[in-house]
Amino acid sequence: MKVNVTLLGTLSSRYPDYLPDRGLEVEISDGAKVDDLLAHLEISATQGAVVIQDGRILHREETLTDGQRVTIFLAMYGG
Amino acid sequence: MKFIKVNMTNKMIGYEEVPVAYLGLGGRGLTSIMINNEVPARCDALGPENKLIFAPGLLSGTPLVNTSRISVGAKSPLTGTIKESNAGGTIAAALGRLGITAIIVEGQAAAGELFILRIDENGEAGLVPAQEYQGMRTYALTEKLLETYGKKTSVMCIGPAGENRLKAASIQASDIDGRPCRAAGRGGLGAVMGSKGLKALVVDQRGISPDAIADPETFKEAAKAFAKAVKDHPFSGQLLPNLGTAGLVGPVNSMGAFPSYNATKGVMTGWEKISGEAMLQLINQRGGNPSHMGCAQCIVHCSNEYNDPQGKYVTSSLEYETIWSMGGMTGIDDLDTIARLDFLCDDLGLDTMSTGVAMAVAMDAGYKNFGDGPAALQMMEEIAQGSALGVILGNGPKAVGLHFNHARVPVVKGQSIAAYDPRAMQGNGVSYATSPMGADHTAGNVIGEYMAQKLDPLKAEGQVEASRNTQIAMAAVDCTGLCLLASFALTTPEGAMAFLQAMNAKFGTQLGPEAIPQSGIRVLQAEREFNKKAGFTNLDDRLPEFFYKEPLPPHNTVVVISDQEMDSTFNF
Repeated sequence: MKVNVTLLGTLSSRYPDYLPDRGLEVEISDGAKVDDLLAHLEISATQGAVVIQDGRILHREETLTDGQRVTIFLAMYGG
Repeated sequence: MKFIKVNMTNKMIGYEEVPVAYLGLGGRGLTSIMINNEVPARCDALGPENKLIFAPGLLSGTPLVNTSRISVGAKSPLTGTIKESNAGGTIAAALGRLGITAIIVEGQAAAGELFILRIDENGEAGLVPAQEYQGMRTYALTEKLLETYGKKTSVMCIGPAGENRLKAASIQASDIDGRPCRAAGRGGLGAVMGSKGLKALVVDQRGISPDAIADPETFKEAAKAFAKAVKDHPFSGQLLPNLGTAGLVGPVNSMGAFPSYNATKGVMTGWEKISGEAMLQLINQRGGNPSHMGCAQCIVHCSNEYNDPQGKYVTSSLEYETIWSMGGMTGIDDLDTIARLDFLCDDLGLDTMSTGVAMAVAMDAGYKNFGDGPAALQMMEEIAQGSALGVILGNGPKAVGLHFNHARVPVVKGQSIAAYDPRAMQGNGVSYATSPMGADHTAGNVIGEYMAQKLDPLKAEGQVEASRNTQIAMAAVDCTGLCLLASFALTTPEGAMAFLQAMNAKFGTQLGPEAIPQSGIRVLQAEREFNKKAGFTNLDDRLPEFFYKEPLPPHNTVVVISDQEMDSTFNF
């Protein structure tokens, strides 16, 4: 299945062809969870990645669906 | 460890060793406890009984990274509450190196008098007549002061806004490059400084008499470990050096919590154009600096130098709260306009947050359209000219709301909210409502709890406790001179241990971790006591009605914290 990922902060720097208004089209196995997506993108859990869809922070064990659009960034603390 | 007391009425300057009652206090702890002890709570904030206190933190002047934060305290003319306003730059480190614990400015100069307070490399203070600087904007003023006193000079100054006693007036602080682009922004302390007849505080950076470190070897090891913790933390080590705090625009919009169009929506249309990512691209294209070091001893480098399309300097540092107030709240989606507004606020000596929200209220009232950049620049010009509307705008959002008879004014105790809508981040709503400072985000930002998924930002559960704990922690950190952005390293075991070791090594103490919340509670108690004496009650610890009544898209939620819950925040 395909998931569209918007990467914020410095996360997109490892994808030289990344375009902010297009995002990243990620091919991932059916039934994959949020954790699997992060692993696929090599974003380590210890970095404090946050995965959001429609304003809601997704839990790590949530299952993704085909065509889903998510935004990922590393945790922020304010400023 | 000395106080310098400056009486602006009779121009006398006195030096004293820090009295016993104030030993062990620094930064916000010192300013708040002293204001509570010595300023009549019902006095006129712009009158002679108010005191303006400049206090570096307990660790300012030591070699520890990111400790050049200064606290400026007084009774606020904007809120009528106690106020501590915090700024970076170089001045806190400079005062620390001179062994100066606080400068206490008292009394009031006669009408028409204006002075500079200069402190030389030996820590000797003198008042210098400053009539020639009357009306001068901060950039021109700082340039002149550095010419006069040399480049190794730190400046805190007011612009025309402070001289005219506008309630949103800031005190600007010079950065590493000598630009007055850091700010003790909130609460109108620039007006207090102006009311005392003080145009600038000028401090020599060449002091070599800091207070002794009790155990220098242990301090050195602890400082090294703390610096590592700051660098290792992904926020302070990676995001901030690259995007600065502007990196928050995307995430907060993604959470539907970015107060936009005078807090009528939680997502701004076109936020991508004013995001940290967009800003980084523009800065790089135009030869600016996205990782600028603004403050002494900083290893985070959250600051930036923003240029125009011709590569000419516009402003430094363009930060999240300014992008929010001048962009999200006004609907202006052009970074060049926002950068220009940022510069104008610094140059006139105005809080960017209060000013942007004031303009947003004017737009919401129908004075101008949302998104009208030229109109915003024209409003700044009105403030600069001191026109009738300019004075209203410069007095902040509440004054604008009263003038236009407009009810949607996002302030608590007269101070505007910050860049997190309480309807989509309930815990931040608790902090806005209950902080002794008025609506304030640095006082108690709960966003970290949401990111770590410890709390649901839209529900009431756990928000009061989170706000309380964060407010206590921040009150403690604000005593030390440590920058908020480096303080997130304290959330790691290594960072917390190293920092505590550094504190103990500095003072020869053996404090445990419980000392940190204890000091924060002591500060908050003093602040609440002052506010109570000033006439504030629990009824003032509330958000404006529209936050409880108007659902915020996209979540379509309202503030769901009950009055009873709000009142339980300070359970000490």
